[in-house]
Amino acid sequence: MTKAMPEVTLHATPRWSDVVLEQVRVAGHGLRREAIVAIAVLGVGTAMVGSEIVAGGPGFDSNETLPTALVAFFFPFLLWRHDKRFAPSFLWTLPVDRRRLAAARVFAGFVWLMVAVASFAAWLLTLGLVAGAPLAHTILRIPVVATVGAYLFGSALVLGLRHPIRWLLGGSGVLFLLGIVGDALSRPDDSEWAYIPGAHAFFEEVHQAMELWLKLPDSAQWAMTTFLWLGAGLAALWAAVTRHKERRRH
Amino acid sequence: MRIRRELAARNRFDGNALEVGGQLVTVNGGQLTSESFLPNTVRHFREQKIGGHELMVGMEERANGAGKSTAMKVLLNLQRGAAGRAEVFGLDTISRGPEVRAQIGYIPESHEHDYAWLTCGHLIRHVAAHYPAWDHAYAARLIEVFGVRAERKVRTLSKGESRRLQFVLALAHRPALLLLDEPTDGLDPVVRNRTLTHLAEHLADTPTTVMIATHHIHEVESLADHVGVLSAGRLVAQMSRDELRRTVRRYRVEVPEGWEPPAELRTRSPRRSRGGRELQWTLAGEERDVTARLTAAGATIREVAPLALEDAALAFLSEEGTP
Repeated sequence: MTKAMPEVTLHATPRWSDVVLEQVRVAGHGLRREAIVAIAVLGVGTAMVGSEIVAGGPGFDSNETLPTALVAFFFPFLLWRHDKRFAPSFLWTLPVDRRRLAAARVFAGFVWLMVAVASFAAWLLTLGLVAGAPLAHTILRIPVVATVGAYLFGSALVLGLRHPIRWLLGGSGVLFLLGIVGDALSRPDDSEWAYIPGAHAFFEEVHQAMELWLKLPDSAQWAMTTFLWLGAGLAALWAAVTRHKERRRH
Repeated sequence: MRIRRELAARNRFDGNALEVGGQLVTVNGGQLTSESFLPNTVRHFREQKIGGHELMVGMEERANGAGKSTAMKVLLNLQRGAAGRAEVFGLDTISRGPEVRAQIGYIPESHEHDYAWLTCGHLIRHVAAHYPAWDHAYAARLIEVFGVRAERKVRTLSKGESRRLQFVLALAHRPALLLLDEPTDGLDPVVRNRTLTHLAEHLADTPTTVMIATHHIHEVESLADHVGVLSAGRLVAQMSRDELRRTVRRYRVEVPEGWEPPAELRTRSPRRSRGGRELQWTLAGEERDVTARLTAAGATIREVAPLALEDAALAFLSEEGTP
């Protein structure tokens, strides 16, 4: 019954660098349609500003609100939309450690996000130059740290939760309700919330902490904000990626 | 090479290891999805240690939910068994998941691909990047043989075309283990025959252990060395193809009025139909042994007929429903 057992030559797993490069490539491929739409929007914007400049108007004052952080937060939703993250899907059949694979995909998305932000900055600078707007002002309008942090939190949300949209909507709803409660508590004379024991003292403490924060020198405040924002984002991402590790034995 | 040394060490089984494919695939005390899987898996795999390459295990099921896809997903570490452990080539499927998956070519039951926005060529390139053993020349040949058009978007492929693409993706890195879940599903008869021919050529060319889950066991009959029958998560039978053919037969017997079969045959009788005083049974066991038992119990043997492989496998499924 038992045959002679020939020796099996086992195949190697891919190099980490190859996996990352391939993820960058395929992520870029998957975002082509969105890139085309973004380029079209910028093209329309350029045409509008250009026509205004030609007509003798201010054209571009480099003072627009730039929603890069918001875009970065939702960018992971686009990046992962083809993958069934919590199902036995194609992605997880690849011979790569799942946490590393997820991290490689997040990094690939980050690369393309930075390419997009850099392209956007170049577009702004060009328009600013043409319109004669101050360059330093234009560059400062791009919140790079907030963009990176928002991307990390967005990635954590998508990778860590089965239904991130539901959580997002639910979380937004809770925040909205808390806002209403906060408003009520901030007008103690007009509201019955003032009679909740300790509520007024609590919000007074929060107010004082915020005052202290706002009194920090600009550079220290920036450094601390960056550290906390990115640190919290990385921690959230690590926790989310850990959900996809090769499963433990009993 | 570290893996090879470990593999050699793993081959010294202590007698408790439960093997599918000799040292190639080991299901060790594994309960995959249901409580009932464990004892049956253990019993059958203890009885038979199957060695060498070119093993093919066909799993037949009457209804969905038999556990065949789950068994494959457990080997890929896509899904966790309720208990126990599984090994492929001596590698634990959980702690050594990436290495295990590097040895496996997998065709899932579904034809749909998550990356349907890619062209076939891009998808092939994407998968190839994750397998250092990818044989580009062989992949090009497979693309030609299976008629895959690289420029077509995956989402535009028909079921059959999608399946052929999956064959290219599964075979081109010449894996030592192929897990094929309903591989001929969606293929028209001509393409099905051609695909099975290519699969046979691949097996002749590349030492491979293949596990096929199929409803249509007759399609892989010529390729299979061994057949396992899964039903409701339990491995109800597992034996070599020749043994299955030799030991599972249809017996037509004449019995006296009010005759009841002996208890040991009742438990081993997968199928029974009555027409007057004549019984027709599909029974598992050596023909001489079964004939002697029937005769001793007062039955007269009228005919003993061999069965096609599919009918023999089906007999074990109907055992489940036999009171």
